[in-house]
Amino acid sequence: MPDTDAPKLLDFIVDRTHAGIFVVNRDMEIVLWNQFMEVHSGRKAQQLLGKNLFDEFPELPRKWLARKVENVFILKNFSFTSWEQRPYLFKFPHNRPVTGGVDCMRQDCTLMPVKNAAGEVEYVCFTLFDVTDTSIYQQKLKALTQELREVGNRDGLTQLFNRRYIEESLGKEFNRARRYGQPLTVILTDIDHFKQVNDTHGHLAGDEVLRIIARRLQDSLRDTDILGRYGGEEFLIVLPNTGTSGGKVLAERLRHAIESEPVSFGDTSLSVTISLGITELRKDSHDYEQLIGEADQALYQAKEGGRNRAIVFRPDDPAS
Amino acid sequence: MSIQPYTEDQADALQEVANIAMGQAGDSLARILDNFVTLSVPRIRQIEVKELADTVTAMVGEEDVSAVRQAFYNALRGEAIVIFTQSGADELAELLGYDCELDAAIEQELLLEVGNLLVGAILNGISDTLGTELGFSAPSLMAEHTPLRQVLAPDRLTWEQALLVEVNFSVEKHRFKSHLLMFMTEETIETLRHILDDFMDGL
Repeated sequence: MPDTDAPKLLDFIVDRTHAGIFVVNRDMEIVLWNQFMEVHSGRKAQQLLGKNLFDEFPELPRKWLARKVENVFILKNFSFTSWEQRPYLFKFPHNRPVTGGVDCMRQDCTLMPVKNAAGEVEYVCFTLFDVTDTSIYQQKLKALTQELREVGNRDGLTQLFNRRYIEESLGKEFNRARRYGQPLTVILTDIDHFKQVNDTHGHLAGDEVLRIIARRLQDSLRDTDILGRYGGEEFLIVLPNTGTSGGKVLAERLRHAIESEPVSFGDTSLSVTISLGITELRKDSHDYEQLIGEADQALYQAKEGGRNRAIVFRPDDPAS
Repeated sequence: MSIQPYTEDQADALQEVANIAMGQAGDSLARILDNFVTLSVPRIRQIEVKELADTVTAMVGEEDVSAVRQAFYNALRGEAIVIFTQSGADELAELLGYDCELDAAIEQELLLEVGNLLVGAILNGISDTLGTELGFSAPSLMAEHTPLRQVLAPDRLTWEQALLVEVNFSVEKHRFKSHLLMFMTEETIETLRHILDDFMDGL
Protein backbone atom coordinates (compact mmCIF):
# COMPACT_ATOMS: atom_id res chain seq x y z
CA MET A 1 0.00 0.00 0.00
CA PRO A 2 1.45 3.42 -0.90
CA ASP A 3 2.34 5.59 2.08
CA THR A 4 0.06 8.39 0.93
CA ASP A 5 -3.03 6.33 1.73
CA ALA A 6 -2.18 6.05 5.41
CA PRO A 7 -3.70 9.38 6.59
CA LYS A 8 -6.92 8.68 4.68
CA LEU A 9 -6.99 5.24 6.16
CA LEU A 10 -6.55 6.62 9.66
CA ASP A 11 -9.41 9.09 9.12
CA PHE A 12 -11.61 6.29 7.91
CA ILE A 13 -10.79 4.02 10.84
CA VAL A 14 -11.24 6.72 13.46
CA ASP A 15 -14.61 7.51 11.96
CA ARG A 16 -15.88 3.96 11.57
CA THR A 17 -14.32 2.05 14.42
CA HIS A 18 -16.66 0.41 16.92
CA ALA A 19 -15.90 2.83 19.68
CA GLY A 20 -16.96 6.37 20.30
CA ILE A 21 -14.22 8.88 19.58
CA PHE A 22 -14.58 12.61 20.08
CA VAL A 23 -12.21 15.46 20.79
CA VAL A 24 -12.64 18.74 22.67
CA ASN A 25 -10.42 21.78 22.98
CA ARG A 26 -9.70 23.74 26.13
CA ASP A 27 -12.98 25.65 25.81
CA MET A 28 -14.81 22.33 25.70
CA GLU A 29 -15.68 22.89 22.03
CA ILE A 30 -16.14 19.75 20.00
CA VAL A 31 -13.54 19.39 17.25
CA LEU A 32 -14.10 15.76 16.26
CA TRP A 33 -17.16 13.47 16.55
CA ASN A 34 -16.99 10.06 14.93
CA GLN A 35 -19.70 7.91 13.42
CA PHE A 36 -20.23 5.80 16.54
CA MET A 37 -20.99 9.01 18.46
CA GLU A 38 -23.27 10.22 15.65
CA VAL A 39 -25.24 6.99 15.51
CA HIS A 40 -25.74 6.62 19.24
CA SER A 41 -26.35 10.26 20.11
CA GLY A 42 -28.45 10.94 17.04
CA ARG A 43 -26.44 14.14 16.51
CA LYS A 44 -24.40 14.72 13.35
CA ALA A 45 -20.82 15.94 13.52
CA GLN A 46 -21.60 18.93 11.32
CA GLN A 47 -24.20 20.15 13.83
CA LEU A 48 -21.79 19.78 16.71
CA LEU A 49 -18.35 20.85 15.53
CA GLY A 50 -17.32 24.12 17.14
CA LYS A 51 -20.14 23.88 19.72
CA ASN A 52 -19.63 23.61 23.45
CA LEU A 53 -20.02 20.01 24.65
CA PHE A 54 -21.97 20.99 27.76
CA ASP A 55 -24.33 23.31 25.86
CA GLU A 56 -25.17 20.53 23.43
CA PHE A 57 -25.40 17.80 26.08
CA PRO A 58 -26.69 19.52 29.22
CA GLU A 59 -27.38 16.15 30.84
CA LEU A 60 -23.63 15.50 31.24
CA PRO A 61 -22.31 15.83 34.82
CA ARG A 62 -20.74 19.18 34.05
CA LYS A 63 -18.86 20.13 37.18
CA TRP A 64 -17.19 16.77 37.55
CA LEU A 65 -16.40 16.26 33.87
CA ALA A 66 -15.08 19.79 33.31
CA ARG A 67 -12.75 19.24 36.25
CA LYS A 68 -11.60 15.94 34.85
CA VAL A 69 -10.85 17.40 31.44
CA GLU A 70 -9.05 20.35 33.00
CA ASN A 71 -6.87 17.89 34.93
CA VAL A 72 -5.83 16.22 31.68
CA PHE A 73 -4.76 19.62 30.33
CA ILE A 74 -2.80 20.44 33.46
CA LEU A 75 -1.25 17.07 34.20
CA LYS A 76 -0.81 16.04 30.55
CA ASN A 77 -1.99 12.70 31.73
CA PHE A 78 -4.54 10.08 30.75
CA SER A 79 -7.74 9.89 32.72
CA PHE A 80 -10.37 7.17 32.87
CA THR A 81 -13.92 6.35 33.85
CA SER A 82 -15.23 2.85 34.44
CA TRP A 83 -18.79 1.54 34.14
CA GLU A 84 -18.39 -0.18 37.48
CA GLN A 85 -18.45 3.13 39.31
CA ARG A 86 -20.11 5.35 36.70
CA PRO A 87 -22.28 3.24 34.42
CA TYR A 88 -22.25 5.71 31.52
CA LEU A 89 -21.16 9.15 30.38
CA PHE A 90 -23.75 9.53 27.61
CA LYS A 91 -27.12 7.88 28.00
CA PHE A 92 -27.07 5.79 24.81
CA PRO A 93 -29.33 2.88 23.93
CA HIS A 94 -27.49 -0.45 23.81
CA ASN A 95 -27.51 -3.43 21.50
CA ARG A 96 -29.25 -5.82 23.86
CA PRO A 97 -32.75 -4.36 24.08
CA VAL A 98 -34.21 -7.86 24.53
CA THR A 99 -31.75 -9.89 26.58
CA GLY A 100 -29.84 -7.15 28.35
CA GLY A 101 -31.64 -6.34 31.54
CA VAL A 102 -29.84 -2.99 31.75
CA ASP A 103 -31.39 0.35 30.81
CA CYS A 104 -28.68 1.85 28.64
CA MET A 105 -25.21 1.31 27.23
CA ARG A 106 -22.50 0.74 29.84
CA GLN A 107 -19.37 2.66 28.98
CA ASP A 108 -15.69 2.71 29.80
CA CYS A 109 -14.03 5.94 28.85
CA THR A 110 -10.45 7.05 28.29
CA LEU A 111 -9.43 10.71 28.18
CA MET A 112 -6.19 11.10 26.30
CA PRO A 113 -4.08 14.26 26.15
CA VAL A 114 -3.29 15.35 22.59
CA LYS A 115 -0.10 17.39 22.60
CA ASN A 116 1.14 19.90 20.05
CA ALA A 117 4.73 20.19 18.86
CA ALA A 118 5.62 22.29 21.91
CA GLY A 119 4.48 19.48 24.20
CA GLU A 120 1.45 21.42 25.45
CA VAL A 121 -1.90 19.67 25.59
CA GLU A 122 -4.09 21.17 22.88
CA TYR A 123 -6.99 18.75 22.88
CA VAL A 124 -8.47 15.99 24.95
CA CYS A 125 -9.54 12.93 23.02
CA PHE A 126 -12.31 10.78 24.48
CA THR A 127 -12.56 7.13 23.59
CA LEU A 128 -15.79 5.55 24.67
CA PHE A 129 -16.16 1.79 24.71
CA ASP A 130 -19.44 -0.07 24.80
CA VAL A 131 -18.96 -2.56 27.65
CA THR A 132 -22.61 -3.51 28.06
CA ASP A 133 -21.94 -7.20 27.41
CA THR A 134 -19.05 -7.32 29.85
CA SER A 135 -21.13 -5.57 32.48
CA ILE A 136 -23.97 -8.05 32.09
CA TYR A 137 -21.62 -11.03 32.48
CA GLN A 138 -19.93 -9.44 35.42
CA GLN A 139 -23.21 -8.71 37.14
CA LYS A 140 -24.31 -12.31 36.65
CA LEU A 141 -21.01 -13.51 38.04
CA LYS A 142 -21.30 -11.18 41.00
CA ALA A 143 -24.84 -12.31 41.78
CA LEU A 144 -23.77 -15.94 41.58
CA THR A 145 -20.72 -15.41 43.77
CA GLN A 146 -22.86 -13.59 46.30
CA GLU A 147 -25.39 -16.42 46.25
CA LEU A 148 -22.69 -19.04 46.76
CA ARG A 149 -21.21 -17.06 49.59
CA GLU A 150 -24.62 -16.74 51.21
CA VAL A 151 -25.26 -20.47 50.91
CA GLY A 152 -21.82 -21.18 52.33
CA ASN A 153 -22.50 -18.98 55.34
CA ARG A 154 -25.93 -20.37 56.21
CA ASP A 155 -27.12 -23.26 58.29
CA GLY A 156 -29.32 -25.43 56.08
CA LEU A 157 -32.00 -26.17 58.70
CA THR A 158 -32.60 -22.79 60.33
CA GLN A 159 -31.23 -20.51 57.57
CA LEU A 160 -29.32 -18.67 60.31
CA PHE A 161 -25.59 -18.08 59.87
CA ASN A 162 -23.60 -21.24 60.47
CA ARG A 163 -20.94 -21.79 63.08
CA ARG A 164 -18.02 -20.96 60.83
CA TYR A 165 -19.53 -17.65 59.79
CA ILE A 166 -20.68 -16.57 63.24
CA GLU A 167 -17.23 -17.32 64.68
CA GLU A 168 -15.62 -15.38 61.86
CA SER A 169 -17.94 -12.44 62.53
CA LEU A 170 -17.23 -12.59 66.23
CA GLY A 171 -13.50 -12.59 65.46
CA LYS A 172 -13.87 -9.45 63.34
CA GLU A 173 -16.09 -7.70 65.87
CA PHE A 174 -13.67 -8.65 68.64
CA ASN A 175 -10.77 -6.99 66.80
CA ARG A 176 -12.81 -3.95 65.87
CA ALA A 177 -14.18 -3.43 69.39
CA ARG A 178 -10.73 -3.76 70.89
CA ARG A 179 -9.15 -1.39 68.39
CA TYR A 180 -11.75 1.33 68.88
CA GLY A 181 -12.37 0.69 72.56
CA GLN A 182 -16.02 -0.11 71.98
CA PRO A 183 -18.10 -2.51 74.06
CA LEU A 184 -18.98 -5.96 72.73
CA THR A 185 -21.28 -8.55 74.25
CA VAL A 186 -21.73 -12.21 73.43
CA ILE A 187 -24.73 -14.36 74.32
CA LEU A 188 -24.77 -18.13 74.11
CA THR A 189 -28.21 -19.65 74.39
CA ASP A 190 -29.51 -23.19 74.49
CA ILE A 191 -33.02 -24.62 74.27
CA ASP A 192 -34.03 -26.21 77.61
CA HIS A 193 -34.78 -29.94 77.62
CA PHE A 194 -34.46 -30.12 73.87
CA LYS A 195 -33.53 -33.79 74.03
CA GLN A 196 -36.96 -34.54 75.43
CA VAL A 197 -38.64 -32.85 72.46
CA ASN A 198 -36.71 -35.09 70.13
CA ASP A 199 -37.33 -38.20 72.23
CA THR A 200 -41.05 -37.57 72.70
CA HIS A 201 -42.08 -36.04 69.40
CA GLY A 202 -39.40 -37.23 67.01
CA HIS A 203 -36.59 -35.52 65.16
CA LEU A 204 -38.84 -33.87 62.59
CA ALA A 205 -40.67 -32.12 65.41
CA GLY A 206 -37.32 -31.21 66.91
CA ASP A 207 -36.24 -29.66 63.61
CA GLU A 208 -39.45 -27.68 63.45
CA VAL A 209 -38.91 -26.35 66.99
CA LEU A 210 -35.38 -25.30 66.01
CA ARG A 211 -36.70 -23.44 62.98
CA ILE A 212 -39.40 -21.64 64.96
CA ILE A 213 -37.04 -20.68 67.80
CA ALA A 214 -34.46 -19.48 65.28
CA ARG A 215 -37.02 -17.23 63.63
CA ARG A 216 -38.24 -15.84 66.93
CA LEU A 217 -34.73 -15.08 68.09
CA GLN A 218 -33.96 -13.38 64.80
CA ASP A 219 -37.15 -11.30 64.96
CA SER A 220 -36.29 -10.10 68.47
CA LEU A 221 -32.83 -8.80 67.56
CA ARG A 222 -31.66 -5.46 66.27
CA ASP A 223 -30.25 -5.05 62.76
CA THR A 224 -26.68 -4.83 63.98
CA ASP A 225 -26.83 -8.00 66.10
CA ILE A 226 -25.48 -11.18 64.53
CA LEU A 227 -27.17 -14.49 65.25
CA GLY A 228 -25.92 -17.92 64.25
CA ARG A 229 -26.56 -21.57 64.99
CA TYR A 230 -23.58 -22.61 67.07
CA GLY A 231 -24.31 -26.26 67.70
CA GLY A 232 -27.28 -28.66 67.81
CA GLU A 233 -29.68 -26.53 69.84
CA GLU A 234 -27.21 -23.79 70.72
CA PHE A 235 -27.24 -20.31 69.27
CA LEU A 236 -24.56 -17.64 69.47
CA ILE A 237 -25.43 -13.95 69.35
CA VAL A 238 -22.88 -11.19 68.84
CA LEU A 239 -23.93 -7.73 70.00
CA PRO A 240 -21.56 -5.06 68.69
CA ASN A 241 -21.43 -1.76 70.54
CA THR A 242 -23.33 -3.22 73.47
CA GLY A 243 -22.27 -3.77 77.08
CA THR A 244 -23.60 -6.40 79.48
CA SER A 245 -26.40 -4.20 80.78
CA GLY A 246 -27.77 -3.82 77.25
CA GLY A 247 -26.97 -7.48 76.66
CA LYS A 248 -28.94 -8.49 79.73
CA VAL A 249 -31.98 -6.49 78.57
CA LEU A 250 -31.79 -8.12 75.15
CA ALA A 251 -31.32 -11.58 76.65
CA GLU A 252 -34.46 -11.09 78.75
CA ARG A 253 -36.32 -10.00 75.66
CA LEU A 254 -35.23 -13.17 73.87
CA ARG A 255 -36.08 -15.36 76.84
CA HIS A 256 -39.53 -13.79 77.01
CA ALA A 257 -40.09 -14.10 73.24
CA ILE A 258 -39.61 -17.86 73.54
CA GLU A 259 -41.40 -18.44 76.83
CA SER A 260 -44.45 -16.25 76.18
CA GLU A 261 -45.86 -18.23 73.31
CA PRO A 262 -45.93 -22.01 72.94
CA VAL A 263 -44.33 -23.52 69.85
CA SER A 264 -46.90 -25.16 67.59
CA PHE A 265 -46.31 -27.77 64.95
CA GLY A 266 -48.97 -30.06 63.51
CA ASP A 267 -51.54 -30.58 66.25
CA THR A 268 -48.99 -30.21 68.99
CA SER A 269 -48.37 -27.16 71.07
CA LEU A 270 -45.30 -27.15 73.26
CA SER A 271 -44.02 -24.77 75.90
CA VAL A 272 -40.36 -24.13 75.25
CA THR A 273 -37.85 -22.10 77.22
CA ILE A 274 -34.24 -21.12 76.72
CA SER A 275 -31.30 -20.47 79.01
CA LEU A 276 -28.75 -17.79 78.22
CA GLY A 277 -25.17 -17.01 79.19
CA ILE A 278 -23.87 -13.47 78.70
CA THR A 279 -20.38 -12.05 78.73
CA GLU A 280 -18.64 -8.92 77.49
CA LEU A 281 -15.27 -7.89 76.16
CA ARG A 282 -12.92 -6.75 78.94
CA LYS A 283 -9.43 -5.30 78.86
CA ASP A 284 -7.98 -8.70 79.77
CA SER A 285 -9.90 -10.66 77.13
CA HIS A 286 -7.32 -12.58 75.08
CA ASP A 287 -9.34 -13.69 72.13
CA TYR A 288 -12.88 -14.27 70.98
CA GLU A 289 -12.72 -17.94 71.95
CA GLN A 290 -12.38 -16.80 75.55
CA LEU A 291 -15.66 -14.89 75.25
CA ILE A 292 -17.43 -17.97 73.96
CA GLY A 293 -15.96 -19.97 76.86
CA GLU A 294 -17.21 -17.41 79.38
CA ALA A 295 -20.68 -17.26 77.83
CA ASP A 296 -20.71 -21.06 78.01
CA GLN A 297 -19.84 -20.98 81.73
CA ALA A 298 -22.62 -18.48 82.39
CA LEU A 299 -24.99 -20.62 80.35
CA TYR A 300 -24.03 -23.61 82.49
CA GLN A 301 -24.89 -21.60 85.62
CA ALA A 302 -28.24 -20.65 84.10
CA LYS A 303 -28.96 -24.32 83.53
CA GLU A 304 -27.81 -25.24 87.06
CA GLY A 305 -29.91 -22.44 88.51
CA GLY A 306 -33.10 -23.92 87.12
CA ARG A 307 -33.12 -22.98 83.41
CA ASN A 308 -35.29 -20.36 81.66
CA ARG A 309 -33.01 -17.57 82.81
CA ALA A 310 -30.15 -15.34 81.67
CA ILE A 311 -26.91 -15.18 83.66
CA VAL A 312 -24.09 -12.70 83.23
CA PHE A 313 -20.56 -14.10 83.52
CA ARG A 314 -18.59 -12.69 86.49
CA PRO A 315 -14.84 -12.89 86.04
CA ASP A 316 -14.03 -12.80 89.78
CA ASP A 317 -16.87 -15.09 90.82
CA PRO A 318 -15.20 -18.03 92.58
CA ALA A 319 -18.02 -20.27 91.34
CA SER A 320 -17.11 -19.67 87.73
CA MET B 1 16.62 -14.29 36.43
CA SER B 2 18.59 -12.44 38.98
CA ILE B 3 19.31 -8.81 38.55
CA GLN B 4 22.44 -6.88 39.27
CA PRO B 5 21.70 -4.13 41.74
CA TYR B 6 22.12 -0.64 40.36
CA THR B 7 25.54 0.87 40.84
CA GLU B 8 25.85 3.71 43.28
CA ASP B 9 25.94 6.18 40.36
CA GLN B 10 22.87 4.69 38.78
CA ALA B 11 21.01 4.72 42.06
CA ASP B 12 22.00 8.36 42.63
CA ALA B 13 20.82 9.28 39.15
CA LEU B 14 17.51 7.52 39.70
CA GLN B 15 17.06 9.28 43.00
CA GLU B 16 17.78 12.62 41.30
CA VAL B 17 15.31 11.89 38.49
CA ALA B 18 12.67 10.89 41.01
CA ASN B 19 13.27 14.04 43.06
CA ILE B 20 12.80 16.27 40.02
CA ALA B 21 9.69 14.32 39.03
CA MET B 22 8.26 14.66 42.49
CA GLY B 23 8.73 18.41 42.43
CA GLN B 24 6.82 18.66 39.16
CA ALA B 25 4.15 16.25 40.33
CA GLY B 26 3.67 18.21 43.54
CA ASP B 27 3.19 21.44 41.58
CA SER B 28 0.67 19.92 39.18
CA LEU B 29 -1.28 18.22 41.93
CA ALA B 30 -1.35 21.41 43.96
CA ARG B 31 -2.80 23.26 40.95
CA ILE B 32 -5.44 20.61 40.49
CA LEU B 33 -6.43 20.37 44.11
CA ASP B 34 -5.94 24.06 44.79
CA ASN B 35 -4.26 23.07 48.02
CA PHE B 36 -0.77 22.66 49.28
CA VAL B 37 0.37 19.15 48.50
CA THR B 38 3.16 17.32 50.25
CA LEU B 39 5.03 14.65 48.38
CA SER B 40 7.79 13.04 50.35
CA VAL B 41 11.26 12.59 48.94
CA PRO B 42 10.95 9.27 47.18
CA ARG B 43 12.72 6.31 48.70
CA ILE B 44 13.92 3.88 46.10
CA ARG B 45 15.12 0.36 46.53
CA GLN B 46 15.37 -2.90 44.73
CA ILE B 47 13.56 -5.57 46.57
CA GLU B 48 12.62 -9.24 46.41
CA VAL B 49 8.87 -9.66 46.18
CA LYS B 50 8.87 -12.11 49.08
CA GLU B 51 10.17 -9.35 51.37
CA LEU B 52 7.64 -6.90 50.03
CA ALA B 53 4.85 -7.36 52.56
CA ASP B 54 7.25 -6.95 55.48
CA THR B 55 8.95 -3.91 53.98
CA VAL B 56 5.73 -2.12 53.10
CA THR B 57 4.13 -2.99 56.41
CA ALA B 58 7.11 -1.39 58.10
CA MET B 59 6.38 1.82 56.15
CA VAL B 60 2.61 1.85 56.25
CA GLY B 61 1.78 0.01 59.46
CA GLU B 62 -0.52 -2.94 60.15
CA GLU B 63 -3.88 -1.68 59.12
CA ASP B 64 -6.60 -2.23 56.62
CA VAL B 65 -5.93 -0.47 53.36
CA SER B 66 -7.51 0.16 50.00
CA ALA B 67 -5.36 -0.22 46.93
CA VAL B 68 -5.50 0.84 43.30
CA ARG B 69 -3.29 -0.68 40.62
CA GLN B 70 -2.47 0.75 37.23
CA ALA B 71 -0.27 -0.53 34.44
CA PHE B 72 2.18 1.61 32.53
CA TYR B 73 3.85 0.66 29.30
CA ASN B 74 6.10 1.83 26.55
CA ALA B 75 9.78 2.44 27.32
CA LEU B 76 9.17 1.32 30.90
CA ARG B 77 6.76 -1.45 31.69
CA GLY B 78 5.24 -2.32 35.01
CA GLU B 79 2.49 -1.64 37.46
CA ALA B 80 2.06 1.00 40.07
CA ILE B 81 0.13 0.33 43.24
CA VAL B 82 -1.24 3.15 45.32
CA ILE B 83 -2.06 2.23 48.89
CA PHE B 84 -4.56 4.38 50.73
CA THR B 85 -4.56 4.22 54.48
CA GLN B 86 -6.83 7.09 55.36
CA SER B 87 -9.14 7.95 52.57
CA GLY B 88 -10.73 11.16 53.85
CA ALA B 89 -12.92 10.54 50.82
CA ASP B 90 -15.53 13.17 51.59
CA GLU B 91 -13.00 15.99 51.60
CA LEU B 92 -11.24 14.78 48.48
CA ALA B 93 -14.56 14.54 46.72
CA GLU B 94 -15.07 18.24 47.23
CA LEU B 95 -11.60 19.05 45.96
CA LEU B 96 -12.25 17.06 42.80
CA GLY B 97 -15.54 18.65 41.85
CA TYR B 98 -18.03 16.14 43.17
CA ASP B 99 -21.16 17.79 44.41
CA CYS B 100 -23.29 14.78 45.20
CA GLU B 101 -23.72 12.45 48.15
CA LEU B 102 -20.89 9.97 48.57
CA ASP B 103 -21.88 6.38 48.02
CA ALA B 104 -19.73 3.26 47.64
CA ALA B 105 -19.36 3.69 43.88
CA ILE B 106 -18.26 7.32 44.20
CA GLU B 107 -15.76 6.43 46.89
CA GLN B 108 -14.32 3.82 44.57
CA GLU B 109 -14.24 6.29 41.71
CA LEU B 110 -12.39 8.75 43.94
CA LEU B 111 -9.76 6.17 44.83
CA LEU B 112 -9.30 5.39 41.15
CA GLU B 113 -9.19 9.08 40.28
CA VAL B 114 -6.62 9.95 42.92
CA GLY B 115 -4.64 6.81 42.12
CA ASN B 116 -4.56 7.78 38.46
CA LEU B 117 -3.55 11.37 39.28
CA LEU B 118 -0.69 10.26 41.50
CA VAL B 119 0.61 7.55 39.21
CA GLY B 120 0.36 9.80 36.17
CA ALA B 121 1.96 12.82 37.82
CA ILE B 122 4.87 10.87 39.21
CA LEU B 123 5.54 8.52 36.32
CA ASN B 124 5.15 11.20 33.68
CA GLY B 125 7.56 13.28 35.72
CA ILE B 126 10.10 10.48 35.63
CA SER B 127 9.62 9.69 31.95
CA ASP B 128 9.74 13.40 30.98
CA THR B 129 13.00 13.84 32.79
CA LEU B 130 14.38 10.77 31.08
CA GLY B 131 13.07 11.87 27.69
CA THR B 132 10.69 8.96 27.19
CA GLU B 133 6.93 8.72 27.01
CA LEU B 134 4.57 6.35 28.83
CA GLY B 135 1.12 4.98 28.19
CA PHE B 136 -1.28 4.01 30.92
CA SER B 137 -4.05 1.48 31.23
CA ALA B 138 -7.21 2.22 33.16
CA PRO B 139 -6.67 1.90 36.90
CA SER B 140 -8.54 -0.79 38.78
CA LEU B 141 -9.33 -1.46 42.40
CA MET B 142 -7.13 -4.12 43.92
CA ALA B 143 -8.57 -4.15 47.40
CA GLU B 144 -10.87 -2.24 49.68
CA HIS B 145 -10.44 -2.21 53.45
CA THR B 146 -8.24 -5.29 53.33
CA PRO B 147 -5.28 -6.16 55.58
CA LEU B 148 -2.12 -4.91 53.86
CA ARG B 149 -0.43 -8.30 54.11
CA GLN B 150 -3.23 -9.86 52.15
CA VAL B 151 -2.98 -7.23 49.41
CA LEU B 152 0.74 -7.81 48.98
CA ALA B 153 0.81 -11.56 49.55
CA PRO B 154 3.58 -13.01 47.33
CA ASP B 155 1.19 -15.47 45.70
CA ARG B 156 -0.79 -12.54 44.35
CA LEU B 157 2.25 -10.99 42.70
CA THR B 158 4.01 -12.75 39.88
CA TRP B 159 7.33 -10.93 39.89
CA GLU B 160 10.32 -11.92 41.92
CA GLN B 161 12.02 -8.57 41.86
CA ALA B 162 10.61 -5.13 42.07
CA LEU B 163 11.86 -1.64 42.12
CA LEU B 164 10.09 -0.11 45.03
CA VAL B 165 9.57 3.62 44.87
CA GLU B 166 7.95 4.82 48.00
CA VAL B 167 6.27 8.20 47.93
CA ASN B 168 4.01 9.54 50.62
CA PHE B 169 1.35 11.95 49.52
CA SER B 170 -0.72 14.19 51.70
CA VAL B 171 -2.90 17.20 51.11
CA GLU B 172 -2.70 20.17 53.42
CA LYS B 173 -5.24 20.18 56.23
CA HIS B 174 -6.98 17.10 54.88
CA ARG B 175 -7.07 13.69 56.40
CA PHE B 176 -5.58 11.94 53.47
CA LYS B 177 -2.53 9.81 53.10
CA SER B 178 -1.28 7.40 50.52
CA HIS B 179 1.79 5.51 49.43
CA LEU B 180 2.88 4.72 45.93
CA LEU B 181 4.73 1.54 45.04
CA MET B 182 6.12 1.01 41.59
CA PHE B 183 6.87 -2.43 40.29
CA MET B 184 8.83 -2.89 37.13
CA THR B 185 9.48 -6.03 35.23
CA GLU B 186 13.00 -7.37 35.38
CA GLU B 187 13.43 -6.40 31.77
CA THR B 188 12.44 -2.84 32.58
CA ILE B 189 14.83 -2.63 35.49
CA GLU B 190 17.57 -3.36 32.92
CA THR B 191 16.15 -0.90 30.38
CA LEU B 192 16.04 1.75 33.07
CA ARG B 193 19.67 1.03 33.87
CA HIS B 194 20.64 1.94 30.30
CA ILE B 195 18.40 5.01 30.26
CA LEU B 196 20.02 6.15 33.51
CA ASP B 197 23.49 5.65 32.05
CA ASP B 198 22.52 7.77 29.03
CA PHE B 199 20.96 10.34 31.33
CA MET B 200 24.19 10.66 33.32
CA ASP B 201 26.23 10.95 30.12
CA GLY B 202 23.96 13.76 28.99
CA LEU B 203 24.40 15.79 32.18
